[in-house]
Amino acid sequence: MLELRHIGKAYANGQRVLTDLSYTLGDKEYVSIMGESGVGKSTLLNLIAGLDTPDSGEILIDGITITSLDDDAATRLRRKQFGFVFQAFHILPYLTLRQNIALPLLLNGAPRKLIEERTTQMLGEIGLHGRGQNFPHQLSGGELQRVAIARALIHRPKLILADEPTGNLDSDTAQQILMLMRTEIKENGASGILVTHSHATATTADKVLVLTKNGLAPIESAHTKDSHQRR
Amino acid sequence: MRNGTLSSWLLLGEWKAHLVQAAVVITAIALGVALGFAVHLVNTAAINEFLAVTKSLSGQSDLQVRGTQATFDELLYPALAQRNGVELANPVLELDVAIPGTTGDRKNTTLKILGLDIFRASSISPNLIGMPAEDRQFDTLANDAIFLSPAAMEWLRVKRGDPLQLRVGTQTVMLRVAGGLVRTRAGQRIGVMDIGAAQWRFNRIGELSRIELKLMQGINHDVFKAVLTQELGGQYLVIETADQEARVANMSRAYRVNLNMLALVALFTGAFLVFSTQVLSVVRRRHQFALLRVLGLTRRQLLGQILLEGAILGTIGSLLGLALGYVMATMTLSVFGGELGGGFFTGIQPSVHFDSFTATIFFILGLGVTLLGSAAPAWEAANTHPAPALKSGGEEAALMKLETPWPALACLALGGSLTQLPPIFDLPIFGYLAIALLLIGGIALMPRLSALIFSAVFLVVTRRSATITTLALTRLANAPNQAAVALGGVLASFSLVVAMAIMVTSFRVSVDNWLKHILPADLYVQTAASGDTRGLTPDEVKVLSATSGISRADFFRSSKLMLDPTRPSIVLIARPIDMTDPGNTLPMTDEAIVPALLPKDAIPIWVSEAMVDLYGYTLGKRLTLPIGVSASSFVVAGVWRDYGRQFGAIQMQLTDYQALSGDLKVNDAALWLQTDVTPSQVITSLKRLPFGSALEFSEPSQIRALSLNIFDRSFKITYLLEAVAIIIGLLGVAASFSAQTLARTKEFGILRHIGVTRRQILSMQAIEGGLLTGLGIVLGFVLGWCISLILVFIVNPQSFHWTMQLNLPWKGLIAVALVLLVSAALTALVSGRHAVSGNAIRAIREDW
Amino acid sequence: MQFFKHHLGHIGCPRSDEHRVMLFERMIFFSLYLVAACAFAEPLRLPPQFSPVTPDLELTFPHDFGAHPGFRTEWWYVTGWLETPDKKPLGFQITFFRIATVSDRANPSRFAPKQLIIAHAALSDPDVGKLLHDQKSAREGFGLAYAKEGNTNIKLNDWHMIREENGHYQTIIKAHDFTFHLSLIPSQPLMLQGNNGFSRKGPRPEQASYYYSEPHLQVTGTIIHHDKPITVIGTAWLDHEWSTAYLDPSAEGWDWVGANLDDGSTLMAFRIRSKNDDEVWAYAVLRDASGRITQFTPEQVRFDPKRTWRSPRTGATYPVSMRIQTGSTEWLLTPLQDDQELDSRQSVGAVYWEGAVTITRDGKPAGRGYFEMTGYVKPLKL
Repeated sequence: MLELRHIGKAYANGQRVLTDLSYTLGDKEYVSIMGESGVGKSTLLNLIAGLDTPDSGEILIDGITITSLDDDAATRLRRKQFGFVFQAFHILPYLTLRQNIALPLLLNGAPRKLIEERTTQMLGEIGLHGRGQNFPHQLSGGELQRVAIARALIHRPKLILADEPTGNLDSDTAQQILMLMRTEIKENGASGILVTHSHATATTADKVLVLTKNGLAPIESAHTKDSHQRR
Repeated sequence: MRNGTLSSWLLLGEWKAHLVQAAVVITAIALGVALGFAVHLVNTAAINEFLAVTKSLSGQSDLQVRGTQATFDELLYPALAQRNGVELANPVLELDVAIPGTTGDRKNTTLKILGLDIFRASSISPNLIGMPAEDRQFDTLANDAIFLSPAAMEWLRVKRGDPLQLRVGTQTVMLRVAGGLVRTRAGQRIGVMDIGAAQWRFNRIGELSRIELKLMQGINHDVFKAVLTQELGGQYLVIETADQEARVANMSRAYRVNLNMLALVALFTGAFLVFSTQVLSVVRRRHQFALLRVLGLTRRQLLGQILLEGAILGTIGSLLGLALGYVMATMTLSVFGGELGGGFFTGIQPSVHFDSFTATIFFILGLGVTLLGSAAPAWEAANTHPAPALKSGGEEAALMKLETPWPALACLALGGSLTQLPPIFDLPIFGYLAIALLLIGGIALMPRLSALIFSAVFLVVTRRSATITTLALTRLANAPNQAAVALGGVLASFSLVVAMAIMVTSFRVSVDNWLKHILPADLYVQTAASGDTRGLTPDEVKVLSATSGISRADFFRSSKLMLDPTRPSIVLIARPIDMTDPGNTLPMTDEAIVPALLPKDAIPIWVSEAMVDLYGYTLGKRLTLPIGVSASSFVVAGVWRDYGRQFGAIQMQLTDYQALSGDLKVNDAALWLQTDVTPSQVITSLKRLPFGSALEFSEPSQIRALSLNIFDRSFKITYLLEAVAIIIGLLGVAASFSAQTLARTKEFGILRHIGVTRRQILSMQAIEGGLLTGLGIVLGFVLGWCISLILVFIVNPQSFHWTMQLNLPWKGLIAVALVLLVSAALTALVSGRHAVSGNAIRAIREDW
Repeated sequence: MQFFKHHLGHIGCPRSDEHRVMLFERMIFFSLYLVAACAFAEPLRLPPQFSPVTPDLELTFPHDFGAHPGFRTEWWYVTGWLETPDKKPLGFQITFFRIATVSDRANPSRFAPKQLIIAHAALSDPDVGKLLHDQKSAREGFGLAYAKEGNTNIKLNDWHMIREENGHYQTIIKAHDFTFHLSLIPSQPLMLQGNNGFSRKGPRPEQASYYYSEPHLQVTGTIIHHDKPITVIGTAWLDHEWSTAYLDPSAEGWDWVGANLDDGSTLMAFRIRSKNDDEVWAYAVLRDASGRITQFTPEQVRFDPKRTWRSPRTGATYPVSMRIQTGSTEWLLTPLQDDQELDSRQSVGAVYWEGAVTITRDGKPAGRGYFEMTGYVKPLKL
């Protein structure tokens, strides 16, 4: 569903980060991308999300070249097809949990009834049933990231982009969040890209990729895959 | 689309959390709109009422014939009455008659009395007919009867049947109040008498002030007017009602426009406040906006969202402002009448008329100002790349654009060049535009300037000063844009205050000097404070000059001349003028012809500056004036400064005047006393003269005090408007600092973590606030001084036709500056308390 | 005579309903006041002394055709019948008043209101169904308004009445609804009323006026009516009367008739009604074509209403058809149209009936005249 073709990108200061990177992500595939700091993981995510444009190459989603879209078209594509989970949660402080979760559906102009139903459903799925009217400051970090996951998936996007989603969390909570995210991605039939520098985190995905100067290379981890499948 | 829901969620969430900032914006806009609207309403009500009053005096006539001088020979009346095309000719003798025993300024000591022929006036101005008692019907024609409007009765504290004393020359005329008038405007002070009685009682036998004409149906007014004007020649003016309205409106136009402009200053300051508040509010929320962009909000939607926010604030503020302005205008009118201090509208009782067109204009102004203030930050937010914005620390970057100095410099340059342009319609439009541009340019230059200045200060100060000061300075030097935004409001209001203060002081000092110059004698005598009926006969003049203790007596004759039907009358003053150097007598500007070089075949006149501007009476110009029977040739021998008569005045030698006009009466006398004689001794002996009881005496100091008192009163309203501008400026400081400190909660959290005490953070806040305000004050002073130059040297001469010397009110300015400094520091402190009150740990974790 | 008759009704009971009425009302009201009410002195000075009317004065002409400014009140009152080319009858009335005021004679102003000139004009056309009328007033002066001494010569703005050397009167009246341009040519000698022009108005000897009439004036001229000029001929009656004193305080109103009879004779009769329906005074005179005069004392004159008409506007009931007994002769007046009420409350404030009538003598048509009734709207109070 996602196809990267010969992507090249340099920082504003001229330092090259990505060179001739190609990769194809299949439907309902959940991969993690590992790599050293500064190798361009976040930049790659921004490029895929249409928040940034590559210097060369193109990115296709379901056969549509997003790199040639203007900002409005890219924005519309993003609001429909993508879900985001950030390291810093990014939950709007003056909106209730329900309102935060409902944002993408609202942006997509979904009917009110559907929004209500989906929000209630998502709240249940992330284990915060009945706390929809709470404000973000009443929640712990783990709870905030659950809200973010619900927000990322409420509009049934094709692709979830998660950038170090557990970076601000303790390891127990992190594990729970990763499991929840995986479950939600799978249950909602989405694809997912999880960017992290942590091996433990990366292995919660179906497939682990490593980003180096030479491009994306998979590390097949039967062990982790098996272990998830056993659960 | 669910955008409505999303918008309302975002707006309500934002305002719930930052209610104070929203309230500040609303208040600023509301105050600005309210002031502007109120001043406009009051002025409009006053001018409309004034016009209605004037109109009620001239009734439903088509044309008026007047003399260039105050009165003319009544034999024109039968000629006009029998002229073809005239249906009715209504002769009128209109006099401002002095009321003995009243004091105060000039408007309050005279009663306007109309001498009317009831048989003619009843169909042309039916409202001005007296209503006698049932058993005294002849009173409408009686020689001793006067009919007074209710306001005049109330003012003079008389009722039907009471005697009424009036002053004519040195004589007292006793009339009897015979009743009221059919209908007069509320507050209109007026008396009506039989025209024959008025001529006799006020020594105006054979004289008329005007003849009102009603033309027959089908007569072409323009043709009739043109032919009549031609036939009557230069001694008469044929005026249409429209001309008269223009003249009345012209009288106060400059004053009204300037007051309106001043009132708009508040709105203008409000615009800066909205801008700074919105900028900071957008900067504070840049993460939120970035996230929304990531989640799929388009640029246009985000722009719309921020503008909508501004529009709602602007709408609420403007509506509140309109309501407040209406209430203010109503209250002002009921308490003070239509008089805002200009002295144009005393003695009328206007009522507020809510005019939806103007209300719409002011609403649009208020809303427009808010949208304008929101537009730049909204545009910036919508065009920010969301990905980097999601990371913290981009606030200053977002404001980088403000640092470009070129638009600011362009504004300043344009403003400077606009000052060279002449007035439009006698109004200093370009002067005001220049002021606005200077303000905008000055404020826009602030970021650059504050960065430069604080960096310089930082370099000088760091080595020796305490940590906290260093911290504050570092921040100010490295993040100049946020600082500059906070400065905007202070700068705008303080520079305007400085400008106004310098202008008023310059004006006041100039007036004071001028008064000293024009009042060289020891004692001034007049028969009544003012009015058309004052005057001393030649015999009385002789007796007066011969009184012991007087070393020299100068006599003055002043009268009115109407040179242009669309302008108010000018004043002609005849007096002895020192021909060796007219500057000894008159407060001359530099323009004068040396007496020896004056042409022999023309009579010299000295004109006030207004005559040059309004009538083109430039130095050396040869002209004719309608003085006396035949028009004589005059030459403009000099220009003098006149703060008393903005519509123009001409001075000439008393001997010239008397030779031309045969009018030997004088109005006033200036007396120089012998060295060992006190004014009170002379007053005592003058009072013993047969006409002594009718004389009024004033010493120069009293006249000066009275004049300056009137001056101060006329500027009261400007002080009020300035105060409001300052309040709005302080609101701006409060809003900026609270917005900043909220945005900096995290920064403070970090500082608390690394061991800075709460008190230290607060003092850092106060120091920053003080430094910022200090810079604002210094820059505001410079900017204000520039603006005051425009006010003093462009706006005033162009609107009121007088020039003045620049004077700076240091004490007052320093006081205002100190108050502003302290209030700003306190404001910053109070806002800071809020930021450091929370848990430091939470402060760090709270992303945005 | 007619003047104070009709206006006294108004003076007796001034209305204070409405401003505009009041306003114009007063214009003339105060001047009438001088005639009707006792003069009040201006506080500062004595009022001017007016000449008294005494029985022994002999009228001299042409001097007495002119104005008598020494007397308080004076009027020239022309009434008559006109005939249009298509034989349509019209009635007309032209009146000029001169009033001397109590204004201080010492006032040197040309505007000093020493003499007032007031004028009244009416046209009675049965096709219109009511009177058309207009009035003007002004102070004497500036050549704009005057009543000259020596011969009849009166002007008020653009209204004129002048008696030429040959005894012909020329009148120009430009009223709001109509214009008169009429010449009046005497066909009979003057008729001095009362005792050689001394005409008593009440039981007291000072209640009198100087009064002469010019009956049987031949009228030619043009009127503009409905904006069309019409050539007219007709017969008119002129009264000229001047006095200083006034009526009996008990008087309520008047009925007066002056008729040009077809046989060349002339009838004038009036009665002054009191508030309790008695007669205060009455008088009649009949001059036949040969000039023989028959005078009737108050006891010999009787007025009996035959038919009344009620004004829809004022509610007043007028005996528009009047039976008059003079000695053994019975006269009957029949109006040209019933509605000849002159409701001038919007202007001079008086309401009266002043109209063209035909007259029969003992049942036989005898001629045409003008009939005037006052004091029917409000009773008189003095």
